[in-house]
Amino acid sequence: MSEAILAVSGVHTFIGQHHILQGISFEARADAVTVLLGRNGAGKSTTLKTTIGLLPAARGKIVYRGKEIQDCKPYEIAREGIGFIPEHMGIFAGLTVEENMRVAMLSEDADTHRRLERTLDMFADLRKFWRAKAGILSGGQKQMLSIARAIVNKTSLLLIDEPSKGLAPIIVDVLIDAINQIKERSVVILVEQNFYMASSVGDYFFILDDGMVVHSGEMPALIQDEALQSRYLGISKIS
Amino acid sequence: MAESVFRRFSQQITLIGAVVLFVLPLLGIPPTTYLTLTLAGLAMGMLLFLVASGVSIIFGLMDVLNFAHGSLFAWGAYVGFTVFSLLMPWVEADSLALNLAVFLVAMVTAMITVALLGILLERVIVRRVYGNHLFQILITFGATIVLVELIRVFWGPNDEVMRVPLTFRGNWDILDVIVYRYRVICIIIGLLVYGGLLLILKKTKLGTIVRAGVEDRDMVQAMGHNIYLLFTGVFAVGAALAALGGLAMSLFSLQVYPDMGGTYLLFAFIVVIIGGLGSVTGSLVGALIVGLTYNYVAYLVPWAAAGVNILIMIIILLIRPTGLFPAGE
Amino acid sequence: MAEPTPVHLFHMSEKRRQFKSSGFFLKMAVLLLFILVPFLFPSFKTVDLAMQIVMFAALVASFDILLGYTGILSFGHGMFFGIGAYCVAFLIGKYGSPSYGNLILGFLLAAAVSAVLALLISLLTLRVKAIFFAMITLAIAELAIVLATKLSGLTGGEDGISLFTPGIFSPAFNLGEFMGIDINGRVVTYYFILFSCLALFLIMLRFTKSPLGRVLQAIRDNVQRAEALGYNTFLYQSISITFGCVVAGLVGALYALWVGYVNPESSLSVMTIMLDVLLMVIIGGMGTLYGGLIGAAFLKITQTYLPDLQHLAKDLFPQAEFLHNIMERWLLLFGVLFILVVIFFPKGVIGSIREYGARRKSRGLNKTA
Repeated sequence: MSEAILAVSGVHTFIGQHHILQGISFEARADAVTVLLGRNGAGKSTTLKTTIGLLPAARGKIVYRGKEIQDCKPYEIAREGIGFIPEHMGIFAGLTVEENMRVAMLSEDADTHRRLERTLDMFADLRKFWRAKAGILSGGQKQMLSIARAIVNKTSLLLIDEPSKGLAPIIVDVLIDAINQIKERSVVILVEQNFYMASSVGDYFFILDDGMVVHSGEMPALIQDEALQSRYLGISKIS
Repeated sequence: MAESVFRRFSQQITLIGAVVLFVLPLLGIPPTTYLTLTLAGLAMGMLLFLVASGVSIIFGLMDVLNFAHGSLFAWGAYVGFTVFSLLMPWVEADSLALNLAVFLVAMVTAMITVALLGILLERVIVRRVYGNHLFQILITFGATIVLVELIRVFWGPNDEVMRVPLTFRGNWDILDVIVYRYRVICIIIGLLVYGGLLLILKKTKLGTIVRAGVEDRDMVQAMGHNIYLLFTGVFAVGAALAALGGLAMSLFSLQVYPDMGGTYLLFAFIVVIIGGLGSVTGSLVGALIVGLTYNYVAYLVPWAAAGVNILIMIIILLIRPTGLFPAGE
Repeated sequence: MAEPTPVHLFHMSEKRRQFKSSGFFLKMAVLLLFILVPFLFPSFKTVDLAMQIVMFAALVASFDILLGYTGILSFGHGMFFGIGAYCVAFLIGKYGSPSYGNLILGFLLAAAVSAVLALLISLLTLRVKAIFFAMITLAIAELAIVLATKLSGLTGGEDGISLFTPGIFSPAFNLGEFMGIDINGRVVTYYFILFSCLALFLIMLRFTKSPLGRVLQAIRDNVQRAEALGYNTFLYQSISITFGCVVAGLVGALYALWVGYVNPESSLSVMTIMLDVLLMVIIGGMGTLYGGLIGAAFLKITQTYLPDLQHLAKDLFPQAEFLHNIMERWLLLFGVLFILVVIFFPKGVIGSIREYGARRKSRGLNKTA
């Protein structure tokens, strides 16, 4: 078993008065795709936002490659090589696709430009709409732009929040392909409600409920275990 | 219902409004006077733009409504006044070069001093209340009191006469239209600043990041950019623009006085509400609307000049609550 | 008779407790002090100071309805105060004879004009964004000052209007001597204003304790949640703003009655009235109502005795030129105080005391448990 790239232990997060994360702990392995599952409001998105530093952790430790990051500012964490793709994609609608990418590129060196070319090869639509305002893109294209912005830098960990939300099934398949390509170069932690997507890319899973991990294991086991699926994920086979 | 009609035809209504604004005064004003007034209005608008653009960008990026902006404006005027007093021979010299030199020295000194003041203000005071509008307004209002009182401590409580450099004075007579030289200079300064701001915002990486930050601060942070450094920088630029506005305005109205910031802050608020908070172009359009109507109405119905801008603001709020150029559109 | 329910009993015990608590005695003592002021300190200066404190306490409380209970900052509160003052001045000064009828009409007019204007402003701005309220009210308040100054035919311009108070309020009225002081028109006016302000204050207290007041606090704390719960936040905020502004108008009307004249500088100015009101509410504590009294007392007493302090400073340190400059610019000190209070002491005096009390109480509960 390889070492964990990210270890979250006993983290509590409050949003206003609400105690959202109540001592969550999990580890993401460096050689696999980790999926966080759970109902709405279980604390999946809050976990990612706390990791990237957008929400302060009231207690607990977040260790990324041996370094404690729970008290760092979001930009410091991002510069450590963690990419974040938020739930609503966080596209700058008034900026062009090109400008969106430029804001994302933390340096202008040859490596970054090589990654940019490779990313644009992966998402051909972005090249097509290079000079268009990002606001006019379709939902799938926006998601591609959002992923492209995150992988144009040298990222070793990608936090992706519900990429499939509101997208057509055929686009979801494109995303699955993309994430399967990305995971060759970077560790991925994925929050997902869409079980088809989660099971297609995930290796390990953690199920969250009320701000804590209630179950974890290997993806193939979860795919077999229909009782667990229906208990925590509300998935039931229609017979 | 009326509201939805307004919304649907807002573009057309705005256009008609603009035409009415420019053409209607011709009915009551002789053409040559009209042109002189128009130039005065444009000049005043450009100066208001210098103040309003700072308020607008600071709000757009930092979500801070800076009530201390008017006092920074006054500080700019007073620093400029001091430079002018020290270099009085250059001001009174009949030499364009010396006049320009004193203006530039005053401008640079005022902008740097007030930018430093702005950095101090942001770091020490404003930073403590990010995310809380109520406290921002309260605390920047408190800062206004302190800054204005400091002016009284350093420069005394009385009005002072501001002397315009010799070659900037007077006017040209072009086909019976009286063109004041200094007004032309104001228009040029305004256009240069507008062009410069647009260039920085659209063409440089830093400007692009600022525009991205106006749309989504969190995302810009999560992409590895130090948003707090950006905040301080933008606050300093806004303060420097206010200082330039203050200096230019003091030469326009030929005086400086400690409370001068209050009046122009109000104008700036009206401008950004009309133009839309967070948009530089909106600030320019709003400022020109305010400058022009103020001058037309002050000629036609003197007592109504102060009210007409508020009236326009109310009309705009009814038609387009987010202003003519909302940020991010 | 029906058996009292446990809830009923609890309410009764709460009520009893309310009248026995040290806070209640303190409030009664303060009220008594204000009632006795004309007898204890009959000098013009102290009676005027006490009156100013009373009126500003009521004005600040009405401002607190907006700021502390609705979460809306208005720079137009001084304007409503001024409008109230001008309404009375119009009716018993410039355009009417000094009669009780006209005085009552003046108060009604003050309330009505304030209500209509407040409603219009909230309709206009709340739709957009709550922070626009600060900008727009500032603009409209400045406009009011310009209009009051420029339309001198109507308002008397810079000179303002002098009032002629009717009957028992007029300076000529004299009821004879009682306990060593003349019960003249001024003393009658003092008590009239004192009890009017007390009544206004109790109404405001009732307002904040009412279900409506609780909804307002819910809106202030979290607009989205209140909206999600189905409250029409816009409506509630408009009601609250209008209520606060009407009270401000009435206090302004009382103010005009007391000082006997109105002019733009003393009744409308943003820089004088609003600055005082803001300082008072911040020092006393937002969202407490009682804070207004503390803030008003502190500021008014300081302002009244400031010249003495300045003399003292000059006598004690005749060489310290800088100190004299600073004392001349006392507003500078108030500005610094204002910023420091907002940063380090944002709950103000009353808020901090309450917090301390609540903490002690909860600690006591923990101990017994």
